Amino acid sequence: MIDLMNNFFNSPVMSASLIPALLIAIVTASMSVMVMAHRLSFLTVGVSHASLAGLGIAVSLSLPLLPVATIFAVAIALLLALMPKRQGISEDAGTGILFAGSMALGIVLISTASTARVDLLGLLFGNILTISSDEKLWLYFLGGLVIMVMFLASRAWWSIAFDAVTAEASGLPVAPLRMLLYGLVGLTVILCVKLAGIVLTAGLMILPAACAWLWGRSLVGLWILSVSFSIIGTMAGLLWSYAYEWPSGASVVLALCLIFMISWIFNWGKTWLKRSDNKV
Amino acid sequence: MADPVVQVSHLRFGPVNKPILDNISLNIEAGHFMGIVGPNGAGKSTLINIIAGLIQPDNGHIDLMGECLTHYSRHRLLKQIGFLHQLHDNQPRLPMRVSDVVTMGLTSYATPWKRGNNKSAVMEALALVDMETLANRDFRHLSGGQRQRVRLARALVRKPKLLLLDEPSAALDTVSQDRLFHLLRRLCNDTGMSAIMVEHDVAAISSYVDSVACLNRQIHHHAMKGENIPESAWRAMYGDHIQIVAHDSGCIGCHPGTDEFRHD
Repeated sequence: MIDLMNNFFNSPVMSASLIPALLIAIVTASMSVMVMAHRLSFLTVGVSHASLAGLGIAVSLSLPLLPVATIFAVAIALLLALMPKRQGISEDAGTGILFAGSMALGIVLISTASTARVDLLGLLFGNILTISSDEKLWLYFLGGLVIMVMFLASRAWWSIAFDAVTAEASGLPVAPLRMLLYGLVGLTVILCVKLAGIVLTAGLMILPAACAWLWGRSLVGLWILSVSFSIIGTMAGLLWSYAYEWPSGASVVLALCLIFMISWIFNWGKTWLKRSDNKV
Repeated sequence: MADPVVQVSHLRFGPVNKPILDNISLNIEAGHFMGIVGPNGAGKSTLINIIAGLIQPDNGHIDLMGECLTHYSRHRLLKQIGFLHQLHDNQPRLPMRVSDVVTMGLTSYATPWKRGNNKSAVMEALALVDMETLANRDFRHLSGGQRQRVRLARALVRKPKLLLLDEPSAALDTVSQDRLFHLLRRLCNDTGMSAIMVEHDVAAISSYVDSVACLNRQIHHHAMKGENIPESAWRAMYGDHIQIVAHDSGCIGCHPGTDEFRHD
């Protein structure tokens, strides 16, 4: 095990991808608390899959992948925030429509592009080991932006998630804050694509907070737990990926799933013991 | 003379030919405790929501603390208001301590650069509703009545000039209801806070409030303490299917020889 750790940290590929992977882990874990609180899990799945259309447009027009995909994902997320109100369509139906439509457009655009330009598996399932220096810069910029906005707006979002009516009556601008949250979910989704790909991104955006939900009792507690679980999952996933040559994104999501299972079983056992004590 | 805390003039909400609220005018002074009664669908919650700035009226004018309630003044004015709305979601999902729920009511809660140590204010608000011993409990594990008291503490922690309550006693037992009305009466007397409370049971609130507004689309009568509500006002609210059956000499609006009213 110690040899494996030594080799892992001495590997130039792994050491180059470790800081971006940990940054993604921290940012996505922070956002995942809000995704859970506002029940945006399906929206996250929808936006991540819809971003394939943004990547398809970038590939077809020979534009830089991540900036174009970022703009597209934020636009889709904002559209999903607006569509239910304006058109009387429920949010899950709207997400389903945009999810399928954008994914279809992305597949058509990418299939017509030159295969030499597109690493389709990398887009779908992520590969942090192939991150370029331009992509790293883009990642640091987006990551910093998301954390800064989170710091400023997290309490307001928490208040809205707890009771939107009272939050509005306290003078909080609920509708603009919700739009900001949806936009930031779009940004964070793109941040994840390099590590977990379009298909697995939702795992990084949901699982850390889902684990923390079973332990935490306050916003700060949930955030600390969520970030901790995310870092542990990312490190464990990358180690597995290095040791067994598994895809990095899938390994990280599997590690987070394992943490969730352990947390859930532990909590279930705790509740069961409490009930047994009460019966006695 | 100081400006009224709430001044509503000729307020209308809904279509002209079938308004939900029509020609509503009210004045509430500092320290005044007003109850609003009326049947289901009378527009009680709508009126409270309009005063709380959640709904725009179609006509009329609202002044809060002497300032016109507009889109631009709303944010500032609402910081001086506490609001406890009708309960819809009885199963809270967020993992939170009771003290964290109350902290949310502070005006500085959402502004990270204004955060200070507000623990004493939170504990003071919890003490008002007899919940200080449960400050560290998980809010999700409380009973419905306890949650309602915590929500009230959340509305009170900002020391509002005006408290708006929409059926606050819905989840409370009789003893807790009486305690709640007694607390509101005391806060209005001691701090000069004004309160507007929507309730169904006029008999339960009559010994505590300063006035009762009888609402069913319009305000049919605004009875001050010690004043009777005429039978015509009851009939205008509830139709002809009411029967006045008993009396309590301390309550507002009941005829001698009656203790409570009943409608079927």
